[in-house]
Amino acid sequence: MLTFARRAFIVLWKDLLVERRSKETLNALFFFALLLLFLFQFAIGPDRERLAGTLPGLLWLGFILSGLLGLGRTFVVERENDCWEALLLAPGDKSAIYVGKLAGNLLLMLVVEAILVVLFGFFFNLDLRGVLPGLAVVIVLGTVAFAAVGTLFAAMTAQVRARELLFPVLLLPVQAPVLLATVKATEAVLLGEPLGSVAHWLKLLAAADVVYIAVGVLTFDFVLEG
Amino acid sequence: MIRIVGGLALAALAAGLVMAFGVAPRETTQGNVQRIMYLHVPSVWVAYLAFAVVLVASITYLVRRLEAADRLAHASAEVGVLFTGLTIATGSIWGKPTWGTWWTWDARLTSVSILFVMYLGYLLLRGMVEDRERGARYAAVLGIVAAFNIPLVHFSVYWWRTLHQPPSLMKPGPGTMPGVIVAALLVNFAAFSLLYVYFVAKRACLLRREAEAA
Amino acid sequence: MADNWGFVLAAYGLAAVVLLSYWRFLARRERTKTPRARPPRARPGVSDPPAPAVSEPLAPTSGHPRSKPASRPPLQ
Repeated sequence: MLTFARRAFIVLWKDLLVERRSKETLNALFFFALLLLFLFQFAIGPDRERLAGTLPGLLWLGFILSGLLGLGRTFVVERENDCWEALLLAPGDKSAIYVGKLAGNLLLMLVVEAILVVLFGFFFNLDLRGVLPGLAVVIVLGTVAFAAVGTLFAAMTAQVRARELLFPVLLLPVQAPVLLATVKATEAVLLGEPLGSVAHWLKLLAAADVVYIAVGVLTFDFVLEG
Repeated sequence: MIRIVGGLALAALAAGLVMAFGVAPRETTQGNVQRIMYLHVPSVWVAYLAFAVVLVASITYLVRRLEAADRLAHASAEVGVLFTGLTIATGSIWGKPTWGTWWTWDARLTSVSILFVMYLGYLLLRGMVEDRERGARYAAVLGIVAAFNIPLVHFSVYWWRTLHQPPSLMKPGPGTMPGVIVAALLVNFAAFSLLYVYFVAKRACLLRREAEAA
Repeated sequence: MADNWGFVLAAYGLAAVVLLSYWRFLARRERTKTPRARPPRARPGVSDPPAPAVSEPLAPTSGHPRSKPASRPPLQ
């Protein structure tokens, strides 16, 4: 158990180090998130009211689009640097790699999401101070679900031709229930309602998190076989 | 053997038609349009059956590496997508005269649509991985994820439609339906299930021959 | 407008078309797969082509007991 955690942590640490040195993914994602904001504004139009109504949906669309870009690269990076074979040959439980990658992806997405939330607040003039804790809960629950399946599918599609097409095509339908839940919960939270009013959504998200991580841990070995 | 099933399926389909049009009564509020239900509901039941088989076959493949399990999963997914598409189409056709619109995001149509694109993705994955063994493994993993996602889809879509009240029951059933209607549904379900078995058996056979020829 | 038989027909018609098409797809695939299962092997140096070549397509001895492509009636 302890070696599992250690190995997962090593994978996470390596990814964080690489990212800290190059900062390429984070910078690009930040820029992408900013562009998305502009796109949303242009697409919806200047009408404040309409914007306010679609805000939760737009926020999560932004998260998902950024997430697709960021997650899609998780294992491509390994292949580019010839680390892929090393990963495949690593002895023992490969699920530790999954957990490490998942943690790294989760951190990356949370950072991008935090930036997006701030930007949203800035551009659309929202006062988020009161709702931040509730919002944070919803965002974390939803992002874990997204990252859990995303990391698994990223490993799967890394070796497939037309990877960039297949990854979103596989991930998005599976994430549909998560999207429904998070947008509804975010909507309630942004309106100032207490978390208890969306307890069923939160429980669904928590259940999704557990299911996805369990399936990921159990099946990752099969995905990474030589 | 397969032909016997095929023959049975055909007979059962005929019986189903008789039940749907001859035996079942004309519905009071919707009129005869409601008879589409005898197509729509058994279709979706068979689709769920198909995807359950995909789950079991996928797990079996990963654990035991039986080629037959992989072929069963592939065939079942394909036939499942077929019936899912049929569910959506018949649901839409039923909806137009009933609700006045070709499409509506009601609970069943939405859930089934999500299932449709999930398993369509499954078939796409199968088509895009050249290495057979790897394709089988990946598809099995996807089949497992998709199957476990189904209850999540159900609950989320259902709550999404019924706004503010989370239901205490699983889902409100159709209540008590008259026995004749239930009987008609069951006959058609049996017919479609037999058809499913026939299709899957033939498809899996084809897959085996393709694999042998390669 | 209570009955809308047009829609009922459309639904059942569509179902019939879809299911039949899939069945035909399966049947057609099966027909193309069977004769190719045993591709004619080149005779090692014997110059006796005409006789075996003529009889081969007429009676495919492919060893798959279920393959009677031309004469198999549907679903029976």
